[in-house]
Amino acid sequence: MTELYPSAPSAVSRRTTLRAAGGGTLLLGLGLTGCRSAVEESAAPAVADAAGPRRGGTLTVAVNSDFTPSLLFAQSNQSLQQRLIYNTLTRYDDRLEPQPELATSWEYAADGRALTLKLRTGVVFHDGRPFTADDVIFAVKNLQNPVRAAQLRATAAAVTGFEKRGDHELVLKLAHPVNNLFDLFEFMIITDPGSVEEAVAGKRLNGTGPFSLTRWSPGTGLGLKRHEKYWQPGRPYLDGVEIRVVPQADALISSLRTGQSQLSYSVPGRNLATVAGVPGLVVSEYATGGGASYLGVNTSIAPLDDKTVRQALAWAVDRERILKQVLGGYGLASATPWPKSSPAFTEAGRTHYRHDPGKARELLRSAGHTRLDLPLLHVNLPGETALAEAVQYDLQQIGVHVTLEPTDAATAQKKLISQSMPALWAMGHSFAQVQPSTLAVSAYPFNAAKNTSRFRSEEYTRIVREAWTSRATGAGANALRQRVTDTLLDEAFIIDLAIRGSVQVASRKLRGATLNKFSYLNLDDAYLAG
Amino acid sequence: MRGHLLRRLPSALLVLAAASVLAFGILRLVPGDPAAVLAGPDAGPEVQAAIRDRLGLDEPLPAQYLHWIGGLLTGDLGPSYVIGGETADLIADGLGATVELTLGALLFAVLIGGTLGVLGATARRPWIRGAVRSVTTAALAVPPYVSGVLLVLLFAVLLGVLPAGGRIPLLTAPDLGVQYLLLPALCLALPSAAVLGRYLEDSLRRALAEDHVRTATAAGIAPRRILWRHALPHALPPVVTLLGIQTGHLLGGAVLVEAIFAWPGLGQLAEQALVRRDYPVVQDLLLLLVAVFVLVQLLSDLVHAWLDPRIRWE
Repeated sequence: MTELYPSAPSAVSRRTTLRAAGGGTLLLGLGLTGCRSAVEESAAPAVADAAGPRRGGTLTVAVNSDFTPSLLFAQSNQSLQQRLIYNTLTRYDDRLEPQPELATSWEYAADGRALTLKLRTGVVFHDGRPFTADDVIFAVKNLQNPVRAAQLRATAAAVTGFEKRGDHELVLKLAHPVNNLFDLFEFMIITDPGSVEEAVAGKRLNGTGPFSLTRWSPGTGLGLKRHEKYWQPGRPYLDGVEIRVVPQADALISSLRTGQSQLSYSVPGRNLATVAGVPGLVVSEYATGGGASYLGVNTSIAPLDDKTVRQALAWAVDRERILKQVLGGYGLASATPWPKSSPAFTEAGRTHYRHDPGKARELLRSAGHTRLDLPLLHVNLPGETALAEAVQYDLQQIGVHVTLEPTDAATAQKKLISQSMPALWAMGHSFAQVQPSTLAVSAYPFNAAKNTSRFRSEEYTRIVREAWTSRATGAGANALRQRVTDTLLDEAFIIDLAIRGSVQVASRKLRGATLNKFSYLNLDDAYLAG
Repeated sequence: MRGHLLRRLPSALLVLAAASVLAFGILRLVPGDPAAVLAGPDAGPEVQAAIRDRLGLDEPLPAQYLHWIGGLLTGDLGPSYVIGGETADLIADGLGATVELTLGALLFAVLIGGTLGVLGATARRPWIRGAVRSVTTAALAVPPYVSGVLLVLLFAVLLGVLPAGGRIPLLTAPDLGVQYLLLPALCLALPSAAVLGRYLEDSLRRALAEDHVRTATAAGIAPRRILWRHALPHALPPVVTLLGIQTGHLLGGAVLVEAIFAWPGLGQLAEQALVRRDYPVVQDLLLLLVAVFVLVQLLSDLVHAWLDPRIRWE
């Protein structure tokens, strides 16, 4: 053992140590105070107006996944930038009534096979080129291309002809009437045809929206600056927007708590209680929800080909517990896919399947089963795993013993599309927040012709087709929606569990930020109060 | 030397070729593909088929492999399938961020480890030596995902003086960039600082016990001069060797710290690319790692041959 030499020089005296520590602290302090603060920099203040909205400032939005340029025309995990860089033709209000954006007015032909659009004049792209009817024609044709992976491709494909009447009037001719054309208009961003390939490569995004792209750094985020020639006078109020990627939930919450970012829609449900108590933050929920969690059933595997067994599973699940424990209480426990904002939503439908293990066991027995052993696939992310475990527990109470099969998202999606899912799977779906027919036409799990559950029914196909093409309004439309709901509940090939909350966490200083039905962030009227 | 290099080069190229086949093949064996990721959970098979066609995933595997290798040989890494942008740009950006973080952490490790080592070896008071030992034990025991959260809580949430995460490149805005770098670099550096500190303390104690130090002390040379001129130079060589090994650990550990502090480095890129089956990015990253390893081995062989002529004649 090496011993300290008895008279070893005490090279570092206490005074020296204190001096060094003091010097280091001073240098660090000078360094940090002598330059800009990164914390203050990220919350750049707005310049105060005399009253009302304030002009200026940069808003930082925290997201948990990056912008994926190749999914520019599809709904992906991160679609916030769509309505910042681009515009849509119309936007829905809270009652799902279309309101003007780039289309100022519209009129259906008597037979429902044509729609005349009047387009806004004086709109220019970020590069200064004026917006015309040709841009709308391109936008529709672009979504018809399967490569764009646009979920509303079927609706875009229903447009079979275009008649231009000058630069700002256009007639869309339809193969058959469709009642979700305004879903397409809410979804479809108007891009510059000349730079669309550069856009999907993430190189140049040229739109008519309130902000133009200044920077996209993969893994870091997007930088946007005010479009000075935006068609809405005096808008936007903000000078710029930063969309910052913060994949880890704790880091994202820290970023909100410290004011480094002022807005996020990516705080996981189970963490919302943490931010709800932070004085400078406001938590609010959108009635449209953020998609739905469901239990998928492969109807080609016995005994799940028997709908009585599927219904037993639907009765066995405790949706309220899932809402509370998995989604942090944000969302809506529901047996149907419809959020409260949907015209198809009914309280009776939502509570059609309640948690009733006794009834579930009885149904299983009536189908000739007392014990079943089934695999359940789920994505190995914390929220999805918690959902699968909750379902596993509930099903075990009625004698259905579930083996969990955790897998990564890429594999799960491959299995979903290739119809190679095991007996059960737990995942999420979207597209129930707009016209109900869009869900059945655009979301593959509900597709009548071919779906993951391998469920085929002439009746379902007919009802879906009728609900999509019917021009009925009022009671007639409600009756059709109810038939779709009733079929989904009765056949139970997709067992809906809960509508996921679409929750906004924002700084108290932020006003006027809204989402459209497809989670495109609208900051036209947003500002940072002093 | 040239002959030695020529003898070693074929095996190096063979390793690279084998690695490229493995990187390409293993990815194709993993379930799921970029087309499924791009199509998303609501799209149907026809969408996936169109995307596969666009990405060239329907081509036979040998043709896909040759297309990739052909691009690499001409310096064209091609576009990323899922993440977006050019693969070369993604890797260059990620590499820059990871190197910046690693160098920052290395600096912290040297400063903190050096201070602790010197204090531990020279402090007369037992409580100071005890405190140094406690600090190094804690720094070693607390994993980065705990120390990272604690650092964020203290400096970002409670004190509000440093950002909680993200990155501004040092070269773009040095004054802001350094503030973004401080916390992740400190978090990454702590375990290495503890290792370096303990090693330096031990090494310095040995050096201080050497005869020449005793002679210098007897000759009345100032203690500070003895430490800096006579003891530390003897204590440092093994620490410098350890520093090299720790640099490798820092590079590896950066992956976790990048996730905690939203630092867009190579670790984040690799994780994103793998999860989303971004074939070109994963393949190029794997091959880059192998190439670096092969290059280091080759250089090491050359240095050995330069130092020992017998090797050259083998």
